[in-house]
Amino acid sequence: DIIVTGSTSFGAETVITYSGLRKGQEITVPRTSQSKIAEAVKKLWNSDLFSSINIYISSIEGNVANLEIHLQDLPELKDVKIEGVKKSKFDDIIKDNKLSPGVKVTENLIKTTENYLESTYQKKGFLKANVTITTSEVTDSIDKQRVNMKLNIDKGNKVKVKDIVFNGREKLKAKKLKKAMKNTKKKNPIRIFKRSKYIEADFNEDLVSIIDTYKENGYRDARIISDSLIYNPDNTVSLVINLEEGEKYTYGDIKFLGNTVYTDELLNRILRINKGDTYNGVELKKRIQDETKPDGDDIANLYQNSGYLFSSITPVETSADGNVIDMEIRIIEGKPAYFNKISVVGNDKTNDHVIYREIRTRPGQRYSKADVIRTIRELGQLGFFDAQQIEPNFKNVNANDGTLDMEYSVVERGSSQIELQGGYGGGGFIGTLGLSFNNFSIKDIFKKDAYKPIPMGDGQKLALRLQASRFYQTYSFSFSEPWFGGKKPVSFSTSLSHTKQFLYNPATRNADKDRRFNITGLSVGLAKRLSVPDDYFVLSQAISFQHYDLKNYNTGLFTFGNGSSNNLAYTIGLSRNNTNVDPIYPTGGSNFSVTAKLSLPYSVFNKVDYKALKEERADQLEIQNNTTLSNSTRNDAADRISEIDQERFKWLEFYKVKFNGEWYARVIGDMVLRPKVEFGFLGAYNNDRGVIPFERYFVGGDGMGTYSLDGREAISLRGYPNQSLSSQDGGTIYNKFSLELRYPITLKSQQAKIYALAFLEAGASYDNFRDYNPFALKRSAGFGIRLFMPAFGLLGIDFGHGFDPLPGQAVKHGWETHFIIGQQF
Amino acid sequence: CSEFQKAIKSEDIAVKFKMGTDLYESGKYRKALRLFDQIVPKYRGKPQAQKLMYMNAKAHYEVGDYYTSNYHMERFVNSYPESEKAEEMAFLAAKSYYHLPPVYSKEQKETVEAIEKIQSFINAYPNSEFLAEANKMVKELDFKLERKAYEIAKQYHTLGPHNRDYEAAIKAFDNFILDFPGATHKEKAMFYRLDSAYKLAVNSVESKKEERVRNAIEYYDSFKSRFAESEFLEEANKMNAELIELQRQYENKG
Repeated sequence: DIIVTGSTSFGAETVITYSGLRKGQEITVPRTSQSKIAEAVKKLWNSDLFSSINIYISSIEGNVANLEIHLQDLPELKDVKIEGVKKSKFDDIIKDNKLSPGVKVTENLIKTTENYLESTYQKKGFLKANVTITTSEVTDSIDKQRVNMKLNIDKGNKVKVKDIVFNGREKLKAKKLKKAMKNTKKKNPIRIFKRSKYIEADFNEDLVSIIDTYKENGYRDARIISDSLIYNPDNTVSLVINLEEGEKYTYGDIKFLGNTVYTDELLNRILRINKGDTYNGVELKKRIQDETKPDGDDIANLYQNSGYLFSSITPVETSADGNVIDMEIRIIEGKPAYFNKISVVGNDKTNDHVIYREIRTRPGQRYSKADVIRTIRELGQLGFFDAQQIEPNFKNVNANDGTLDMEYSVVERGSSQIELQGGYGGGGFIGTLGLSFNNFSIKDIFKKDAYKPIPMGDGQKLALRLQASRFYQTYSFSFSEPWFGGKKPVSFSTSLSHTKQFLYNPATRNADKDRRFNITGLSVGLAKRLSVPDDYFVLSQAISFQHYDLKNYNTGLFTFGNGSSNNLAYTIGLSRNNTNVDPIYPTGGSNFSVTAKLSLPYSVFNKVDYKALKEERADQLEIQNNTTLSNSTRNDAADRISEIDQERFKWLEFYKVKFNGEWYARVIGDMVLRPKVEFGFLGAYNNDRGVIPFERYFVGGDGMGTYSLDGREAISLRGYPNQSLSSQDGGTIYNKFSLELRYPITLKSQQAKIYALAFLEAGASYDNFRDYNPFALKRSAGFGIRLFMPAFGLLGIDFGHGFDPLPGQAVKHGWETHFIIGQQF
Repeated sequence: CSEFQKAIKSEDIAVKFKMGTDLYESGKYRKALRLFDQIVPKYRGKPQAQKLMYMNAKAHYEVGDYYTSNYHMERFVNSYPESEKAEEMAFLAAKSYYHLPPVYSKEQKETVEAIEKIQSFINAYPNSEFLAEANKMVKELDFKLERKAYEIAKQYHTLGPHNRDYEAAIKAFDNFILDFPGATHKEKAMFYRLDSAYKLAVNSVESKKEERVRNAIEYYDSFKSRFAESEFLEEANKMNAELIELQRQYENKG
């Protein structure tokens, strides 16, 4: 028989079942650590419900033992009272310390809560924070033991640092030492970002920085003898640091020992330390192995990047005679290491092949730290994984065989976006539904199991977008595969779109559904990274087709209200982009691109006499504009012009060439200068057929893509209103020069990158080649700021001053403000 | 108001238990689970708990909620190791793991875990009636790991020209053949290893060519002796002929 005694609120049967003991079960006496009884005690103890557990054998009859389980319940928490802080903080305190009712109150809980709260307040600068917790038993509880808890929080006053005193300092300036103390700052009303406070752990870190500052300046023996904290009556503290500076040292002879792979000369070039230089232990350490930069230019990496995983480099001071230190840099090269197995873990969404093709460390290859680092960076850039959490794990490292396995651990992150929005704009309600999947798997699209919630893992992009208002509807679909065919990084992309636009009916103030303009477009493209001349070159090709269909819809674009027009074109582009490192704020490299967009030369083979049509059109235009003629004659002429234009634009015939080039160069520190040149030309194969009114250039303003029907290109030129520097129909030729100076305000922050800029720009567009004059430019200058946040993209504001008059005006344009969303100049 | 709704709202746990049992026995697992969810904590420590835990765990299994079913089943086995249902529960717990892993091309930690769980079931119940099925599951899961390793090695082969690296494929197939001695993909693995070695040899720089030709011929020999009837043999023979020709040139020179 088993009985349960003691003060417990649990039923006897529950306790017995939980303990795992059963009537009629065989038990061993005396108990050992393996016995059922010991196991039962352990099980009950692990439940965290009891403060004491005893199992007795109450009596033995023959080979039958009766057991007694004696239990004492832990008291449960009933109520928490907090004193000394604002009510609004109560919830946080209770949540952080898990002080919800029903929690078992142990000594440990009380102590950790006290410590946690005290250290939290100390970290905020309440140096004298004191937390005491008292518990009191609840007397009215019937079946359970319960206690109330009272938290007495005495925050004390916020303590600031009044003064930092260095004793024994002669050689270095106090200012320099204070600057080295990154965390602990003296009280100063001007400094807003870094508040003065004293936190012990941070202060200790600062003491190390002080010594490092000495070491950097040759004081190798500098040390801190003691430091003390003095409380002042006005709620501040003074910090006293007692120093011993020691002597200043310089370098003597530096010798390399044990290097067989690299020559002394090469190693010296990396070390960059000469005899007679001021001894700098910190710098020496960095040149040998820079812990702060995993891809730093140091001796350790020289070996690590060429397979010498097991190499070790130790600088040893061989003599320190008369403050001159002779050094020996002892190198143990070890065997070169080779990768054996490469594996990836954590990819519960992305398929292996998408990841492995990006990995630069392959089985059988010589170990290279640089390859590992590059792999991590490139896996991060895929956008499927959290870039901060990609880790290389070295496994089965075997120094004897010179082999190692590498396991990349990744953490998937959501890479799909859903956009659903509604708003007023363009004269009515506009609704948008956008879906974009950045790690799609099109091959799984018909597999039912793959929908969790969508087929994912092949690294493809799929986007769908629907937009509708009373006046127009747009549907678009696009898909791209970065490794088309799976053998090479040739990206394939395709898109389909359809836009329906209705004419505004002023009578009903509504859309007139009978008068509409439809545009249907389709494009297919391939882009390939080249290896010659170097692997920054990308060759891209695309075929696009657009069909314009008008029904009783007159716009400035067409002289005919009914009819259609087709734009079938082939685009080929060559670009080279080696800008680095941060795509938001490049500090080096350049970006060039040349593109050509061509249609077929229809007029060569379609046997239409465009010359005759051109002459007829000119005649008809004369009639149309002749106000002395009757209306019906003029209308007939207008109809004939429409007919002729319909013939001319049935298939758009054109070629278009563009060039873009920009350079990034550091000026001082992180300040970057960016010169940029742009040029574009739109031409016709048949001059009688004429240059099409589509695909034209519109210069001026912020250059952001407007709602464009006709393939127009908006070219930015700050300091002037949008598209103000081109004629009504747009230019067929343009050029632009720009010089921008950028200064980073903050780049390190994860939340936002901000930089300021100043610019000089000049550019112009021309209606035809005869007017082209590369020196008749519209000039401007100005300044602005850019803010990049991952959730919003790039935002910015620019103030530009136009020095030249707008077309048709006489005075200079003056200031113009531009708001920039999601585009870079 | 149906009887089920009444049972859901009822205060009497015995009513819920009865109704849940009926639903369970007639195969309406989802409805049964809704009742079980309400009463499982209340029956803890009571004599009916064993039956209830059994039904609850099994119902989770039947509706395909394998994450939960293996948890309840393992708990059942721990709580009632002497029960006559313990073996069945242990088996279904292992089988729940079998259902969890994703496709071979994604992370396989669940596969490895499932193999371990099923293996420990086999060790615990060596005479079980479920043994055959358990072995079959282990085989299937092993095959998944094999396929994963094979496809990764094969991709090194596919990307060989792009990466200008055939050694990665050779090394990866070497490891594959070593790790999966009885592999289904062994024939293909050995053939593509030969193919990689062949391409490495014929495209090699002169200084390493002789050695690489010799290695490739070795891979051919081991492929031919193991798979004399292979569908790839004709292609392999062609490679070999070319390699032998190259080797002869070196011998003549030497």
